[in-house]
Amino acid sequence: MLNAQSLTKKVSTAAGELIILDEVSLQLQAGDSLAITGASGSGKSTLLGILAGLDEPTSGKISLHQHELTELGEEGRAKVRAAHVGFVFQSFQLLPGLTALENVMMPLELHGIDNAKGKAEFFLTRVGLNKRLDHYPQQLSGGEQQRVAIARAFASEPDVLFADEPTGNLDSATGAHVIELLFELNREQGTTLILVTHEQRLAQHCQQRISLEAGKVVERVCEQGVALSEVG
Amino acid sequence: MLALKLLWRNWRAGEVKILASALILAVAVVSCISIFTDRLEQALISQSHTFLGADRVIRSSQPIQDKWRLLAADYDMKTATTTQFASMVFRDDRMHLASVKAVSRGYPLLGQLKVSDVPFATDAELIKVAQGVPASGEVWADSRLLPLLGLKIGDQFTVGEKSLTLTRVIIDEPDRGSNFSAYGARVMMNEEDLAATQVIQPGSRIRYQWLLAADESVLESFLSQLEPQLSPHERIVDVESAQQGLAKTLDTAQKFLLLSAMIGVLLAGVAIAIAARRFAQRHVDQVALLKSLGASSGKVRKIYAVQLLVLGAIAAILGLAIGQGLQTLIASALASVFPVELSPASWSAYIPGLVTGVVCLLCFVAPPLWHLPVVPPIKILRRELEIGGVAFYWQATLGVLAMIVLVAIFSRDLWLSASIVGAMLVLMVLTALFAALLLRLGSQVGRKVGSVWRLALASLNRNAQQSVIQMMVFGLAIMLLLTLTSLRTTLIEDWQLQLPPETPNHFLLNVSPAEKDDVIELMQSQGLTSQYLFPMVRARLTHINGVEPSEEVKQRAEMLRREANLSWSESLNDDNKIIEGKWWDQWREPGVHGISVEAEAAQDLGVGLGDDLRFSVGGLMLEARIASIRTLKWDSMNPNFYFLMSPGALDDFSPTYLTSVFLSPENKIFVNRLLEQFPTIVVIEMDRVIAQIQSIVAQVSVGIELMLWLVLLGGFMVMWAAVSATMDERKQETALLRALGSPRKRLLGSLLIEFSLLGGLAGVMAVIGAEVLLLSIQYWVLDMPLQLHVALWVWGTLGAMVLIGALGVFSCRRVVTTPPGLILREVG
Ligand SMILES: Nc1ncnc2c1ncn2[C@@H]1O[C@H](COP(=O)(O)OP(=O)(O)OP(=O)(O)O)[C@@H](O)[C@H]1O
Ligand SMILES: [Mg+2]
Repeated sequence: MLNAQSLTKKVSTAAGELIILDEVSLQLQAGDSLAITGASGSGKSTLLGILAGLDEPTSGKISLHQHELTELGEEGRAKVRAAHVGFVFQSFQLLPGLTALENVMMPLELHGIDNAKGKAEFFLTRVGLNKRLDHYPQQLSGGEQQRVAIARAFASEPDVLFADEPTGNLDSATGAHVIELLFELNREQGTTLILVTHEQRLAQHCQQRISLEAGKVVERVCEQGVALSEVG
Repeated sequence: MLALKLLWRNWRAGEVKILASALILAVAVVSCISIFTDRLEQALISQSHTFLGADRVIRSSQPIQDKWRLLAADYDMKTATTTQFASMVFRDDRMHLASVKAVSRGYPLLGQLKVSDVPFATDAELIKVAQGVPASGEVWADSRLLPLLGLKIGDQFTVGEKSLTLTRVIIDEPDRGSNFSAYGARVMMNEEDLAATQVIQPGSRIRYQWLLAADESVLESFLSQLEPQLSPHERIVDVESAQQGLAKTLDTAQKFLLLSAMIGVLLAGVAIAIAARRFAQRHVDQVALLKSLGASSGKVRKIYAVQLLVLGAIAAILGLAIGQGLQTLIASALASVFPVELSPASWSAYIPGLVTGVVCLLCFVAPPLWHLPVVPPIKILRRELEIGGVAFYWQATLGVLAMIVLVAIFSRDLWLSASIVGAMLVLMVLTALFAALLLRLGSQVGRKVGSVWRLALASLNRNAQQSVIQMMVFGLAIMLLLTLTSLRTTLIEDWQLQLPPETPNHFLLNVSPAEKDDVIELMQSQGLTSQYLFPMVRARLTHINGVEPSEEVKQRAEMLRREANLSWSESLNDDNKIIEGKWWDQWREPGVHGISVEAEAAQDLGVGLGDDLRFSVGGLMLEARIASIRTLKWDSMNPNFYFLMSPGALDDFSPTYLTSVFLSPENKIFVNRLLEQFPTIVVIEMDRVIAQIQSIVAQVSVGIELMLWLVLLGGFMVMWAAVSATMDERKQETALLRALGSPRKRLLGSLLIEFSLLGGLAGVMAVIGAEVLLLSIQYWVLDMPLQLHVALWVWGTLGAMVLIGALGVFSCRRVVTTPPGLILREVG
C-alpha cells in the first residue's frame, strides 16, 4: 500500500545544509493507521508532505498504491493525489468564500464526479452538520470547521488520508469528537490513515506509531501484531 | 463548468468586485468616448458638407477638364459645376458690379438653396427650397440687387451680352461662405447661358468649382486617381480646410477627450492591477488546496483562464452597454437643446472599447496571476512558504507598455502618448523617493509625539514599502484627477471666451464714409450695438523692397494674386499678438508709413521687419515699412487683417468701413432693412457658422463633463482598491490591538491620522505633479497660454487629505467596530 525507503530531505540554508529528514523508512498495509509524533520542528509535517506526494524527498523511494511517487513529476503526483489521497489540516483550510456544502463539493467537482451535491450532503450529515450546509466557515466553530474538512476529505473516498495535527487547534472534548469521527470513517471505508499529532491520546488509536527527533525515527511501536519491516 | 461556478462563488465572496468594476469602467470610458466622438464627428462632417454644398470641391482657375469628367463617370458619384466671377450687370442706365455664379444642374449637391418670390422675405411660408437651378434664360439674385437696379421680379436685365429674366430672389445659399472679397450682389444663372454672355475672356479672373458628392470610399479612390493630374492652380477643398475655426475647436476637444480616456484607462488599469494582485494573494491558498486535491498546474491554469475570460467578456459587454447608454444620454440631452441630428455610430467605434478590455486583461490582470498555477502544493502544509510572483517591475513595465499601446491606438500619436506616460512615470518615481524620505523623517518625529500619533506613524512605518506604494497610487490618482479637472475648466472657459453668446455674427463691408454715420444711427435705432468700425481700402501688393516679386513667390503667396484689404488701427485687438517689432505707440520712423504684417503672410512673402512694401490702391501708390509681425486667432471670428497700417496712412485713399454686429434670429430682419436702404453694403452672414461652433462646443463640453465624472469614478476606484489591498493585514493587526485592550476611539483616531497623513502627502506630491503636467499639456498639446493654478495647490492638498482620511476610516470601520474575536477567527 504505502512503502517508503530511506527518505531523506535536505535543504540548503544560509547557515549551510540542513537535514530535515534522515533516512526514514516505513511500510503500511491498506486500512492501517500510523501516527507520527515528535517535538515541534522535528520534521513531522515534512515527512507527511513527502509521503502524500506534495513534496519530493532529496533521496529515497516511496511507492503509494503501486505508483512510484519518486519517479513521477509534479503532474504525475497530482494524478495520484487525485485518485487516492485525502487531507485534513491543522488550520482547517476551508475556502472562506464558500459555504460548508460548497467546500465539500469542491474536490468532487474538481474530479468531475456525478451528483457532487448529494454526496457532499451525505458526508456532511455523516459528520453531524446537516443543519449547517449553507453556513460559511466564519459562521462555524473550530470543531465544526474541522468536521467540514473531514467530510471534504472523505467525500472523495480516498485510499489514504493524511492529517496534519487535525486536533491541534481544538479543545480536548472537541478534539476527541473529531478523532472519533476520523477513526469511524477509517473503519467504514477501509481508509489508510496517516496522522501527525502531539496528542498521545490520538496516537494511541493508531496501530503504528513513529516518533521523530531531528528528522530521525527514534521510536517505533507496532500493535496487534501488524508486521513491521525492520529498518537499518 | 467548475471555473464558472468558482467565478460565481468568487463574485459572491466579493473577491472580484473591484476587478470587475475597474474592467467595466475601463471599457465604458473608452467606448463612451469613442462612440461619442465618432457620432459627433460624423454629424459635424455631414453638417459641414452643406457649407461646401458637396463632400469635396475641386477649385480651379481653369475650366474643369473633360478627361476628369470622363474619369468621374466611372464612379458612383454626383457632380455639379459652378463658375464664379465679378461682372457688371445693367438695367437701363443703372449698373452694379455683381458676383455672378453660373451653376449646372444638380447644384447644390448637399445643403439647400433657399429662394422666394418676394424680395427680402423672412416669413417661412414665403421661402422655398429651390428644386433645381435657374432655367436657361432665367436668373435668380440677391434681394439687394432689386433696389440697386430698380428691378422687380419678372423684369429683365443684362449680364454681359445676354438679357435674362429675374424670376426669384435668393434667400440663402449653402456654400456662400465668408468670402470677404466678393462685394457684389449674387446673381445666379444657368451654366448654359454662360457662353452667350461673352463675359469670359482670356485673362478674366474666374473661379471654377467642381462639386463632388459620394461615399467616402468612392471619393477617396477617385481623388487618389485625380490628385496626380492636378496643377498648382487646382486645389481640393474639404470640410477641414473650409472650416478652420471649427476644426481647431474639435481637434482640441478630441485631444482632451483622448486625454481623459487615457487617464481613465490608466486609473482603471492601476485599480485593476491592484485588485488582481490582491486576488492573487488571496488565491494562493485556494490554488494550494486545489493542488493538494490533485489538480494539475494545467487544470489550475485552465480554471483561472476561463474565469478571467468570462469575467473579461462580461465586463466588456457591460462596459460597452454602459458606454453606449451614456453617450445616448448625452446625445438625447443635447438634441432637446440644439437642433443637431447625431447619426448612429459606425461599428468601428465599438472596437477601441473591446481592445481596451482585452489589453487590460492581458497586461493588468494576467501578470499578477501568472504564478498561481505553479504554486507548489506543499504550501498547504508549510504556510510560511513565500510565494514569489512575477516581479513587480515586470508587471509595472507591462502595464506601462499596455498604456502606450492603448493610447497609441486611439490617438495614432505615439509621441503624445509616450511623452505623457513618460512624464507620469518620472513623477511617480520622484513621488516614491520623496515618500520614502518623508516616512523616515516621520518616524523620528513619531517618537516625540502623543500616543495616537505614535500609533499612526508606527503603522505607516511598519509597512514602509506598502505605504510608499499606497502613497504613490493615491498621488497618481489625485494628480490625474486634478489635471483633468482644471484642464476641463480652462478649456471650457477658453471656448466660451472665444465665442461668448453675443459674438458678432454679421459683418458689414463696404460702408462708404458718407454712409458711416447713417448706418450707426440705423443700428442704434434698432437697439443694436456695432462692434468695430475698421476703415478699409482694397489694394494690390505690387513691389517688395522696390522690386516686383518673382513668379515663384507669386505662386506661394495668395495675396499677390488678388486684392488685399488694408486697414489701420490705433489699438491692437486682444486676439492679435506682436511677435516681432513694435506696435505704433512705440514705433518711430519719421517720413514713412508703418505696416504690421500677419506672421504667415510674412513668411509666404518672404519679408521681415524693415522691408518696404508697395501697394497699388486704385492706381495710386502707397509705400509702407514693416514695423511689426503679428499672429492672429482666426477662430475668434473677429474681423482680422493681414495688413494693418499706422494711423493716418490711409487718409488719402478714401477708405470704406467694416463693422460687425450681433443679430439674434429675431433681429435678422435688420439685414434686409439695411440693404434696402444701403444696397451697396455687403453683409457677410456668419451666424450659421458661429451657431454651429457654439453648438459643438456645448456638445463637447457636456461630453467632457461626463468624462470627468467617469474618470473621477476611476480615481475613486483606484483609491478604494489601494485601501482594500491592505485590509487583510490591517484586520489582523487592529483586531489584535483591540484584543490587547486598545480603546476603539484611539484606533479610529490613529487610522484617521494615518490615512489623512497618507492623503495629505500624496496630495502635496499630486499637486506638484499636476502643475507640471498641466503646464506641459497646455504648452505642448493644447497650445494654450501658460498659467499657474494656485487654487489647486490649496484645495488639492486639503481635498486629498479629507478624502483619503475618510475613505480609510470608512473602509476600516468594520474592523474596528466588530468584536475582535470574530475578526481573528475570520483571518484564521
Ligand atoms: N524548505 C525548507 N527550507 C528551510 N527549512 C525547512 C524547509 N522545510 C522545513 N524546514 C525546517 O525543517 C524543520 C522541520 O519542519 P517541519 O515543518 O517538518 O516540523 P514539524 O515537526 O512539523 O514541526 P511542528 O510540530 O512545529 O509543526 C523546521 O525547522 C523547518 O523550519
Ligand atoms: Mg508541522
